[in-house]
Amino acid sequence: MPILDIGYRKWSGNRSPEWSRWSVVAGTGISLVWRGTWLKRFLLFASFPAIVTMFGVGLFEQSTQDESYRRMFNGFLASRNEPLGPRNRMNRVRNPEPIISPSDDIATQRHKAWSYLLLWYFRYPQALWIVVVIGLVAPRLISYDLRSRGYLLYLSRPLSPKSYVFGKACVLYFLLAMITTFPAIAVYSFGLLLSNDPSSIFQTWDIPFRILLATAVLVLPTSAVALAFSSLTQESRFAAFAWFAVWITGWVTYLVLTGSAMFNADDALKLQQRWLLVSPYHVLGHLQEEIFGVLPAERHQIGPWVLCVAVTLIGFGIARWRVARMLKV
Amino acid sequence: MPSVIDIAGLTKRYAGNFALKNVDLVVPVGVTGLLGPNGSGKSTFIKAVLGLVSVDTGSGTVLGGAWPKQVKSIRDKIGYLPEDDCYILGLQGVESVQMMAKLSGLPSTEALRRAHEVLDFCDVGQERYRNVETYSTGMRQKLKFAQALVHDPQLIILDEPTTGLDPTQREEFLDRIHALAHRFEKSVLLSTHILHDVQQVCDHVIILVRGQVRLSDSLANMQRPIQSGLQIRVVRDALRLAESLRRRGLRVECNGDTELRVNGEMASISKTIWAASKEESVLVERMDEARNSLEHSFLEIVSEKNHANS
Repeated sequence: MPILDIGYRKWSGNRSPEWSRWSVVAGTGISLVWRGTWLKRFLLFASFPAIVTMFGVGLFEQSTQDESYRRMFNGFLASRNEPLGPRNRMNRVRNPEPIISPSDDIATQRHKAWSYLLLWYFRYPQALWIVVVIGLVAPRLISYDLRSRGYLLYLSRPLSPKSYVFGKACVLYFLLAMITTFPAIAVYSFGLLLSNDPSSIFQTWDIPFRILLATAVLVLPTSAVALAFSSLTQESRFAAFAWFAVWITGWVTYLVLTGSAMFNADDALKLQQRWLLVSPYHVLGHLQEEIFGVLPAERHQIGPWVLCVAVTLIGFGIARWRVARMLKV
Repeated sequence: MPSVIDIAGLTKRYAGNFALKNVDLVVPVGVTGLLGPNGSGKSTFIKAVLGLVSVDTGSGTVLGGAWPKQVKSIRDKIGYLPEDDCYILGLQGVESVQMMAKLSGLPSTEALRRAHEVLDFCDVGQERYRNVETYSTGMRQKLKFAQALVHDPQLIILDEPTTGLDPTQREEFLDRIHALAHRFEKSVLLSTHILHDVQQVCDHVIILVRGQVRLSDSLANMQRPIQSGLQIRVVRDALRLAESLRRRGLRVECNGDTELRVNGEMASISKTIWAASKEESVLVERMDEARNSLEHSFLEIVSEKNHANS
């Protein structure tokens, strides 16, 4: 019993604008998922690759002062950015060809080096962490509300199904930004701090924007698909199964279709381009390469971009449609 | 009469079937009971008012705002207690009320303060710190009521609010509704099957049958009998007393061995009743002005409609 019960009282005060109410959905979702111990552990582990990237940036900055570090840096970089198959990769590691050409000026070298390192960061460790983190969090975001009819509580206030879904997506954006954008920006800032040359900020000004774009390309379609799965069932385990199944099936199919030419770099490239859209992981990787400016012009394709936009729109469309449909008596 | 809801021509169809058919409805200020058999369109009407389902036709005003155009901002002024058992998994009771306050635009700290205040009003004690999925049905009803009130709405829409409450909790719940309506000038739309609840707190009654408004009137008018008379309760031998009254030329209806209704002008028949009871040695326990029971009126209206449709 309360120590003092003053009964019902009227309330008047300033209210936040209606358009900002989705932030309550996002805030509540974040506060709920943050209570999970495993998620915090995963987020901690997911920050480790940023340390490796920072080491790479440090190595490059050292190599600009000391030539003996140049070979070590090229080896480090080559071992992290080789998409052409295992035999070729091993050769590159044994006899590292300079990705950063010594003939380039230092500004070009720096831009290239940082871009390659950040591409590696987004393309390999973080793309996998994203799959794991979304697989842990997203399946229950909408399905739990469908099961407990919590959506009625949200939507009885000035909130549309669209803003509800957006609020739920922001839970994922926040978590994914924690393992992609924030560490990548930290790596970039670390590079600026290590660099002896103040003009490095002008040489690399576009990299933060590339980081933001790379994050958007990773986060938007994946969140949309995950929320669509979550909205299609009241059992979060089914949504989680569908999520992992899409990635694993896509990956395995891609490997099988392109595996026949694994040891021939030219054939491999052709097959990889032909079957690229089969695997979500490889589509996102292709887009990352394009965003960080390391994709050769002849490998440019419009298909992955179209697929990325279409998946995002369809995913959010399905989630919104399902939530609106649940309101029918 | 001032109204909180004034809607005309409301039609809603589900797969070709009319859930609401050209409904013209005015809900006056005060406590209004929304009655109707299952599938009569009560919940659809409530969800349509809240803009949770799109309607085929209809327009009007709700709390002075153009409906359905401004339905989102109208929702800020309405507190809704859904019939369904709904909660956010993983949240404590107080957190879920705070969240609802924040969804209505209250700042975070103020939302928490207000949540505690309203939970006190709804008689939720330390259970407020438990996760909502562990609550009993009665506790969940209280929690939903607190969520509906936390932003101090002008209109409170309650869909089957006393379901799952024990008799004491139900009385307390109805007392709260009464207090909100009469001390804090809230308008309440109470959708229920429990006619006793309506009789206890409502000023106005609307009966929906098969998606159409069958009756909209004040409770007092509904209960007013067509013929004046007296409702009498005796200890026993009502039939003997009825026979004696009939011999004296009065029209009498018996209801079991303890209740009877005598039609006629109250002043003139009361003397005759006392004389007959003395003669027959039947002890009169209670005598009231005769009123129609809400249950009787409700069944009459619903069966009339069924008859008309058959």
